[in-house]
Amino acid sequence: MASEPFPKHKVLSWPAVPIPTPDEVYAGMTDQAKEYPLSLEAQLRQSENFKKPECLTRVRVLDVSKGMIIGNWCSSMLSELGADTIKCEPPAGDPLRWQTPFGRKEYMFKDAETGEPIGLHFLHEMRNKQSITLDLEKPEGRELLKKLVVHFDVLIENYPPGQFDEWGIGYRQLKEINPRLVYAWVGQKGQWGPSKDKPGNLDPTAQAACGFVHGTGLPKEFGGRPTRSAMWMADHVGGTATAMGILAALIYRDKVSGKGQFVEGTAAEGVIRILDYNWAWYGFDGSIRPRYGNWDLAINIYAVNPCKDGYFMVGGGHDRLWYRIWRTVGQTRADLEDEILDDKSLRMVVARLPHLKQVKTYTVLADWQKDFSRADAMRELLAQQVASGGVNYIDEVAEDPHFKYRGHVDQFEDRLYGKVLYGTTPFLAHKAPGRLKWIGRPLGYDNEEIYLKLLGLGPGDVAGLKKRGVV
Amino acid sequence: MATAPDFETYCQQLFDHKTAAGKPEVLKGYRVLSCTQYILGPSCASYLAELGAEVIKIEAPRRGEPMRHTTPFNEPLLYPLSRWVPEAGTGLGFFGANPNEEFVSLDFHRPEARQAMLELAAKSDVMVQNYRPGTFDRWGIGYQHMSKVNPRLVYQWLGGFGGWGPGRVRASYDILGQAMGGAFGITGEAADRGGTPAKHTIWLADYWGGMMAATTILAALYWRDTVSGEGTFIEYSQVHGVTRMLESALPLYGRYGIRRERWGNWDTELCVHGIIQCGKSSYPDSKNPQEAEVGYILVSAHTDEDFKKLCDVIGKKDLATTYAKHDERVKAENQGPIYDALEVWAKDKTKEDVAKLLDKAGINNQPVWNAKEVSEHPHWKLRGAVQWIDDPTYGDLHHQGPAFKMSETPPRIKWALKPVGADNERVYGRLLGWTKEKLAKMEEAEVI
Repeated sequence: MASEPFPKHKVLSWPAVPIPTPDEVYAGMTDQAKEYPLSLEAQLRQSENFKKPECLTRVRVLDVSKGMIIGNWCSSMLSELGADTIKCEPPAGDPLRWQTPFGRKEYMFKDAETGEPIGLHFLHEMRNKQSITLDLEKPEGRELLKKLVVHFDVLIENYPPGQFDEWGIGYRQLKEINPRLVYAWVGQKGQWGPSKDKPGNLDPTAQAACGFVHGTGLPKEFGGRPTRSAMWMADHVGGTATAMGILAALIYRDKVSGKGQFVEGTAAEGVIRILDYNWAWYGFDGSIRPRYGNWDLAINIYAVNPCKDGYFMVGGGHDRLWYRIWRTVGQTRADLEDEILDDKSLRMVVARLPHLKQVKTYTVLADWQKDFSRADAMRELLAQQVASGGVNYIDEVAEDPHFKYRGHVDQFEDRLYGKVLYGTTPFLAHKAPGRLKWIGRPLGYDNEEIYLKLLGLGPGDVAGLKKRGVV
Repeated sequence: MATAPDFETYCQQLFDHKTAAGKPEVLKGYRVLSCTQYILGPSCASYLAELGAEVIKIEAPRRGEPMRHTTPFNEPLLYPLSRWVPEAGTGLGFFGANPNEEFVSLDFHRPEARQAMLELAAKSDVMVQNYRPGTFDRWGIGYQHMSKVNPRLVYQWLGGFGGWGPGRVRASYDILGQAMGGAFGITGEAADRGGTPAKHTIWLADYWGGMMAATTILAALYWRDTVSGEGTFIEYSQVHGVTRMLESALPLYGRYGIRRERWGNWDTELCVHGIIQCGKSSYPDSKNPQEAEVGYILVSAHTDEDFKKLCDVIGKKDLATTYAKHDERVKAENQGPIYDALEVWAKDKTKEDVAKLLDKAGINNQPVWNAKEVSEHPHWKLRGAVQWIDDPTYGDLHHQGPAFKMSETPPRIKWALKPVGADNERVYGRLLGWTKEKLAKMEEAEVI
């Protein structure tokens, strides 16, 4: 099950600190006060998921994307909500399957049956999916794909623009074979237009091409430079957006037209959509949104600044919170509270937004929080009901009592991969929630089952395909 | 068989945003009540409005929700805020989170308002709200109340931490979601290169969180309309969403106790696949500091073949030998020297110079574009990723397009926003049968 014993030091099993019990969480509350959160818990707890149906049980998804996370992420959105999802990889596997941070093979997990290594990035997005292989470079593989799509509601692909069309398996051709098919193409910048995707374009291409990187990080004057997200964030946003498009297409198909359609989602346009007022502001007077580091151009107080043991967020965009924050500061540093409250130029909410006012605000606030740890600062401010909290590192995310109690982070005991700590689906619902059923599959693990079930190919046929390198 | 250029023309015609208005809408006839403020809740409802749902945004009377009073450096504003407050404007913070919606005002916690909400919910498909957990239940308009008048209602709550568990009473904002959820701590330059944790500049946890919730709403509607006939209650915690994004970090920590750290503008899994500094500004004479700054570009040459080509371009054949294999290049200790060599080479070049040389060699690259470069780029204009709209209230506005494209039922932008309460007469008259007198009375009492 597990890989080689690595590293040598002892790793505490998760959770290192026990998950709080309901009695501990709601201690000291009256029965009446407890009633609301307990009734929510009863409706939403993930431990009840398997007593409930799934939204997308009638939907079958074929994900033939490879090499970038956007397609995997998009199909994860659907597989978490119950779609019967099959990941179709080249016989050599999706290149993502073999990727591991800094090339460190020792980080990879191995499954109990085949002992094949799998990269954790790929594993995390292989959830609830089966794996088959198919070589689309070969004509025989493409013929098999045409037979397969008859059985699918959704196809997700990310090959270079026009590649599938050229191969005779693009939207134009597949809709003749299965008019009900929702065909989704995903990529960085699109399959048409003067800067359309080139083969090999991967996130953070989209992050750089949409204005996100330019606007993230500290200003030059503070020693910063344009900064990418640590995650393939644009792929996540574009993948979620495409999943919305796919679901909309399914609703339209099943309620109105009876027909599928072509959906196109790009990582860049997903992020452009959510880059709030960048575009309006530019249209207004030609403003180019500047980098503003861990502060906010439009809200004061709303920032992360250093504190004694890391970085700490405080938020209070309106007067009620503004005064609560300075009252809290004043409990230990009356001088700082006075400095702000005596400044007439900071009286009005909107007057606090110009840059130099923000500099003053945060210089004073950081002077206070430098003497507090994240936990202590949070305790002080939460007592005043001010939104605040530390920048969590991954170990702290994994052990946060709230996250553990609600199962934002959980450990799954997978039949093949053993105990895997993972980020659970945020799709919590009363009646048909999302869920995890298994964490992943080795390459081509489900070939025999799927090819028999969908195409009537017996073990001998599949062996023949394998011999010819088609699967 | 069609050739690639034909396919491109085919796609361009199929997805042309200028033809969207002539095509049907997926959510025609679906009604959504958006009792939301800030970004997380409003954006969720707005994605449904782009798909054609009739979204009724319900705000506090007169001055509306807080986001209308949020704008960068307190400069740009769209006038008027409302017919009652014509001297104030709506800030751009509100922009992008509320397109295509109808705007009514209502003071939720008044008894008359409760009656109106129950009547509205009885004829709606979706309700989205992001008040603190339990607030709407206290006001008699929670899921327990609404599902009685309309069992088909999909009721979406969104917020920071969720309504149960040890942190349930905590308020949240986007930046706190990013910080607590883990995305903040791993983004930014590494400490040994002078970096600190970095915020994703967009209100990512809000805007993308709204997208996640809209995705579940669509799934719930699909389930309701094709299977069960029933509505449901959905809870979305934005801090939960951010944790879902952490990729390999959790399994890695869970098994080996290894804590993922910041890796700046490079990539932990691929090399070369990182953003480098180009020593020259593309606009050295510009008075705008955003343009006067030096340029940056993503260079992507992680395959052995591309890396060899890259080394030829920068005249460093020794690197091609030393780091011929990806397993070598991608090692933490080897990435630094490779990127440093690239930055030395790019020192006397603009990002366009670098792009030109790399294009010529067939190496993938992407200059880091600012808001102006994106807005003026023919690619994004042609695709409608950004577009000028003729807004009925505010005139010419530069607006982002929808997040995805559909050939038959495309999402679309119709108008950006409206003043607070702009549709009071229409919505309350049409849906609740309020007369002119009743409207006047409600307005007088500041219920609406």
